[in-house]
Amino acid sequence: MIEFQGVTFVHQNGVKALDGVTLKVEAGETVALVGENGAGKTTLVKHVTGLLKPTTGKVIVDGHDTKQTSTASLSRKVGVAFQNPDHQLFSESVEEEMSFALRNFGFSPELVRKRVDWGLGLFGLDEYRKSSPLVLSGGEKKRLTLACILAWDPDVVILDEPTVGQDSIQKEKLAGTIKMLRSAGKTVVVVSHDIEFLWPIQPRVVVMKSGRVVGDGPAALVMQDETLLASARVAQPQLVELYRGLSERPPGPFVDALDARRWFEERMKR
Amino acid sequence: MMWLSGGFVFRRGDSPYHRLDPRVKLLISALMFVSTLLVRSFYELLAVIAVMVAVAAVATVLKRVGRTMVLTATFSAFIFVINIVFTRNLESSVLYAVRFVAIVVSTSLFFITTSPDELEQVMKTFRLPRDVVFAFVTAVRFIPVMMLDTIQIMDAQKSRGLELEKGNIFRRVRNMIPVLIPLVVNSVVRSGELAEAMESRAYGAVPRPTSLVQYKSSVTDKVVALAALALFIAGAYSFYYILPVQLP
Repeated sequence: MIEFQGVTFVHQNGVKALDGVTLKVEAGETVALVGENGAGKTTLVKHVTGLLKPTTGKVIVDGHDTKQTSTASLSRKVGVAFQNPDHQLFSESVEEEMSFALRNFGFSPELVRKRVDWGLGLFGLDEYRKSSPLVLSGGEKKRLTLACILAWDPDVVILDEPTVGQDSIQKEKLAGTIKMLRSAGKTVVVVSHDIEFLWPIQPRVVVMKSGRVVGDGPAALVMQDETLLASARVAQPQLVELYRGLSERPPGPFVDALDARRWFEERMKR
Repeated sequence: MMWLSGGFVFRRGDSPYHRLDPRVKLLISALMFVSTLLVRSFYELLAVIAVMVAVAAVATVLKRVGRTMVLTATFSAFIFVINIVFTRNLESSVLYAVRFVAIVVSTSLFFITTSPDELEQVMKTFRLPRDVVFAFVTAVRFIPVMMLDTIQIMDAQKSRGLELEKGNIFRRVRNMIPVLIPLVVNSVVRSGELAEAMESRAYGAVPRPTSLVQYKSSVTDKVVALAALALFIAGAYSFYYILPVQLP
């Protein structure tokens, strides 16, 4: 679905943001991009929609070379929710904001209405339908940007720091949405520093450092590699730390608190 | 867009010109600016531009100044067309068009080699009101931030299917609305937050706050300032008393 072939990207000021990245994301995969600030995560995802073109190497999205394809046509397949929601909200009302991309893609008025209703309902924004998006709280704005992306049903959903400004309930809902997208066969790429949020989703984890991919594998394996995580300044999930601290432990780390509780209760019964 | 802002945004450098006292740099830019207004022929203007290029070379910003010139030339072409239509005088039309480029370059040379902190000190030297200095310097300091905001907003809207480069001029202008509204809103919000942050750090608590940096002109600064003044006077004298050129 998405393929980075030896991608290097050098900014105009000469700073090398990506350094020979080779990575393949299959359709339907859920991938988490983690790494310290400035590791190149956001730069990497901007290549998927052709917002940035590689200095050397190739990015192939659904068989199309991003150098030869416009951002507008790539964005029909790839939806990106950027870090800062204030960078995209401009309409007079929340529903108009949601319909913006749908109208750009030429959806029929009936379909636009249906998709807007669905998105507002999914993210609990129905009561703000007629409100200005600019007066929403930070968390609500973030949810609105996600709803805007999901409304046109892209094959690939990229979420850049989706948990910033979200309370724990909203984070749980967001994790649920990602799982729902996964079961719907969507390719999901999440850029996040929020390891505790990512861990229960159990994505494939790609670790980046100084513009390079330094680790790649299932969350259960990558998140146990203390040396790798420390070198990329990524914290280990608390449940993994707990698991590794046990003298007797189950075959794999606890996926969530409930999983850990069940295991401890069984041990107590014995 | 960053390319556009490059002509007026300071980047740290280590050339002898960068190290000059900012007041001397202001003097040089002011003299070059006035010279562009004093010249009466295209050839005199070329001589002034040659001095600007030499200054840019010393400051190692030739490439950036070159870009500014190319960009400004687009606006100059407009000035040329308007002039030629109304005056039907080729020489004066060329002079006005090139003069505009020279004016922009003389100003640009000061801003790209002088940090906002230095600019603040220069303005304080002229005993301008503190609020005015602060507002001006903050505006200069925030140009790169706003340019970055613009790029990020454009990226976000392009990712939602907005095609900024498509259609006729009217459609392109209309397509900019989704970029301009978030940009203006962000700027207003940011200025409010900045004001609160400044006040919470005692801005305005005393009428005459102290300063971290005190500028003292070195011998080099004084020599350069005198040389610039001498060149300006010599140039002005030759333009008006030696070279037999009539005002177009």
